[in-house]
Amino acid sequence: MKKVASLNNKTLIFGNGPCARFIAEDLLSTGTDVVIATTDKTCDFSPSEHPGSIEILTDIRLVSCRGTVGNFRIFAAQNNKDITKTVAGIIIAEEDQRKPNFSTYGLKGSSCVITLSQAKELLVDSSHGQSIFSKAKKVVFLTGLVKESHPVIAEEIMHSALKLQSDFNLQTYILTNNLQVAANGLEGLYRKTKIAGAVYVKFTDTRPEIRSESDKNVQVEFVDEITLKKFRLTPDITVVDETIVPSDYVADLARILGVDTDSGGFVQADNVHRIPIFTNRKGIMTAGPSRSIQTYSDQTMDGENASLASAGLMAGLQIVPEDRAEIDKGQCIRCLTCYRLCPYRAITLNTRVVVEPGACERCGICVAKCPRGAIHIKDLEPASISNQMAAGYGLQEENAFSPFLVAFCCSRSAFQACELAQCMGHNLPSKLKIIEVPCSGSISFDHLFAAFKNNADGVLVLTCHEGNCHSECGNIYARQTIDEIKDKFPQIGFEKERILMQTLASNMGTEFAEIVKGFEETIAKLGPSRLNKNQ
Amino acid sequence: MGNKNVLIIGGGVAGLCASVELANLDIHVDLVEKSDFLGGHAIGYACKAIGKTCVKCGACMVEEKLNHTILHPKIKILTGSRVQKVSNNNRFTAKIHCKPKYIDPDKCTHCRICFDKCPVDDAILHGSSKNNIPFFAINEEKCLYLKDKSCDTCRDECPEKAINLDSKATEYTKEADAVLVAAGFHPFNPEDKPYGYNRFDNVVTSLDMERMLKQVGRIKKPSDDTVPEQIAFIQCVGSRDSKLNHLWCSKVCCGSAMRMARRVKERQPEIDITVFYIDVQTFGKDFEQFYKDAREELRLIRAIPGDIYEVEEQKLKINYLDNITHETLEEIFDLVVLSIGITPGKDNGEIAELLHLKLTDSGFIESGPEESSVTNNGIFTAGTVRSAMSIPETIASAGSAARQIVKYLRPNSS
Repeated sequence: MKKVASLNNKTLIFGNGPCARFIAEDLLSTGTDVVIATTDKTCDFSPSEHPGSIEILTDIRLVSCRGTVGNFRIFAAQNNKDITKTVAGIIIAEEDQRKPNFSTYGLKGSSCVITLSQAKELLVDSSHGQSIFSKAKKVVFLTGLVKESHPVIAEEIMHSALKLQSDFNLQTYILTNNLQVAANGLEGLYRKTKIAGAVYVKFTDTRPEIRSESDKNVQVEFVDEITLKKFRLTPDITVVDETIVPSDYVADLARILGVDTDSGGFVQADNVHRIPIFTNRKGIMTAGPSRSIQTYSDQTMDGENASLASAGLMAGLQIVPEDRAEIDKGQCIRCLTCYRLCPYRAITLNTRVVVEPGACERCGICVAKCPRGAIHIKDLEPASISNQMAAGYGLQEENAFSPFLVAFCCSRSAFQACELAQCMGHNLPSKLKIIEVPCSGSISFDHLFAAFKNNADGVLVLTCHEGNCHSECGNIYARQTIDEIKDKFPQIGFEKERILMQTLASNMGTEFAEIVKGFEETIAKLGPSRLNKNQ
Repeated sequence: MGNKNVLIIGGGVAGLCASVELANLDIHVDLVEKSDFLGGHAIGYACKAIGKTCVKCGACMVEEKLNHTILHPKIKILTGSRVQKVSNNNRFTAKIHCKPKYIDPDKCTHCRICFDKCPVDDAILHGSSKNNIPFFAINEEKCLYLKDKSCDTCRDECPEKAINLDSKATEYTKEADAVLVAAGFHPFNPEDKPYGYNRFDNVVTSLDMERMLKQVGRIKKPSDDTVPEQIAFIQCVGSRDSKLNHLWCSKVCCGSAMRMARRVKERQPEIDITVFYIDVQTFGKDFEQFYKDAREELRLIRAIPGDIYEVEEQKLKINYLDNITHETLEEIFDLVVLSIGITPGKDNGEIAELLHLKLTDSGFIESGPEESSVTNNGIFTAGTVRSAMSIPETIASAGSAARQIVKYLRPNSS
């Protein structure tokens, strides 16, 4: 084991909002140096006295990033100036942004049709709010009627309604489909607003009819689903909810830094292995509204997790086992296949192509995909796997045929499931050889052929569910490899049923047993493999 | 931080995650778990992947955290243990009672002979994970030997001589620089609701359902082991209930019920599933698509049934108010799943007293770092002991507590 030394003690934080500032304060307090980089023209952040030092870069945009964990080299543009920084870790903590949902309700913004953010501002700015709300009698909130809302939005609506009811003596109506109360204190707040007089109308199978003529008030007509009575509301002010989306800059950051995003564009793949603040790249964290829609308390929790991870990097506790991938420079022809496919961006290009051991997660995708066979990981060589298969297996002794099965199992899922199946008392096939692989993405044609050459009658590839692969798409690559082989098998007169790929999770002991037993039956019916030299 | 010690009370998701985070920073951890097995409720949860696609329930992450915990040299695990007394003079001194270790974890090979040969139901319990070591435990309340020494079958049959039924309880005294309370939640007991739980065989809880999916993989009626044709899920059992003064949403039940229902539907498409709900709460990053698919596969009814009656063949009759016709409808189901809420842990009162903490109005223990900033007394909280939380939120909560503990333990911090 060796430790990766950080060249410096700096963490770069992208953002200028509450979450970014919280993280900066938190890191500074334990002596970590912080660089804040914001696209904002100014930043009035002045943290209290701390052992760490802070540098604030305003009006700055990221241009490129080289290097890996412990040693990121950042190139950024500030006006016409180029700025270069070297930092040990990076935290993306940009603010989110809001899109008003006017059009989803067929409305346009006006003096009497406003967004939730506008309503909140009016309620904070009492003099302006006074002039607007003191003239009004009824306020209608529209939320979650077309697209689902979110507890963050629901909480703001409830706080606003409560204030309107109690401070301005207004009648508020909240029209919604599913009321989103899955956040701390929201159910209690909901009850409080009801006691204060707010009226909630929930729609399940019907929707209100919302009409607005230019410059006139909005009219809302609906049949109440509980009383079955028809109602017409003519609110003086209609407050329309908003959809929370990531900021545009976050998309740029993700692209330049090479970190995955989810379907909504937030930084962080929808993958449980990234919980809470991790990305596909070691040393790059994502916190608060950059990674999902969050309440303020979620943001502080994220902030503390980001600090914890970042401080861990600084402490030099990033332990790197010495069995990472290595590129044989004599073999490498710089085709850059590995560079393109590495899910962790652990491969850097200098005078030669190098795997950065601190960033490598040892998934083996590059090993399997290198067209020159130039990349090696100890214990993952087909030869070493062949040795594993050849061991502990003798000649067919019984009269009845019992097939020899080789199962390549992902260490994170199927390998664990196999052990659980044994604990649970499931009887597994007598001649089942388990080959543990770090990720099914590391399985190459060579490995699969090696299994058949070593007398396997059937080969299983058992891997993580899609969307659960730690290497993001290792299981997809494995499926491509297996589909390709299955296509070729009939051409060479080999049964394609002899190879099977299935997905499993580490806690699926029962399913593991079902799959291997089912496969044993299939292969028993097929009989011995043509390549099985022991038959 | 190699000389610092943290005592963690509770070996569920929060306790495991915090242990690993602290141990990775070279802090020694004593992890005290009252039950025989680490992993809390969540270690019994099933993977809810639909087909070959992960639905991000997070159950497998608990398995991974448990695996990291048991392998970590800086974590000392004390299962079957309770903290009995804590005194605080700069450092904490905790007295821990550890029940007898009847099965030697180093000798046990999980061969299951003890479990299979034991003549009494539930006298030998099994874990949920291969990382539960040992995988078996003697249930003191059921074991005949511990009652009157009338049976020692397991000890005789164990080929490894791993069972010692005369093993004695032990007392430990542990010194700690900080204490983390991660004592978890109590799943709501639905016996008090008019749903016939524990009276009708075919009324089960969401936790029973999780275990059934994990252990057996397919759903059967407890009454006769046949496949149910009609399953109903009832949401918000013990949550959002003003009569019980449970003024909180448990946050996890909509996701859990819909994921389980869709998983059942995928493997046993012949089963019809109805979900009774108040409001469907969003969960996960891909909620819109998940919810859309759920509405196609499941029947969602916005009503909470009043009562459940058992009718012929142990079927269950549910009454509810139909939204469209406004009539009270009766429907017959073969299996009813109660989505029970997250409620404050049974031991919260005791723990609060032990450590001089305050319970919230609801009975959770929040007084952690934020509230204690005035006194900064070295006691922290994480996970569902604080409030209802999902697995991902609990993992974040544990990381956040770990960070606060690290800051508290810094040598130059005031």
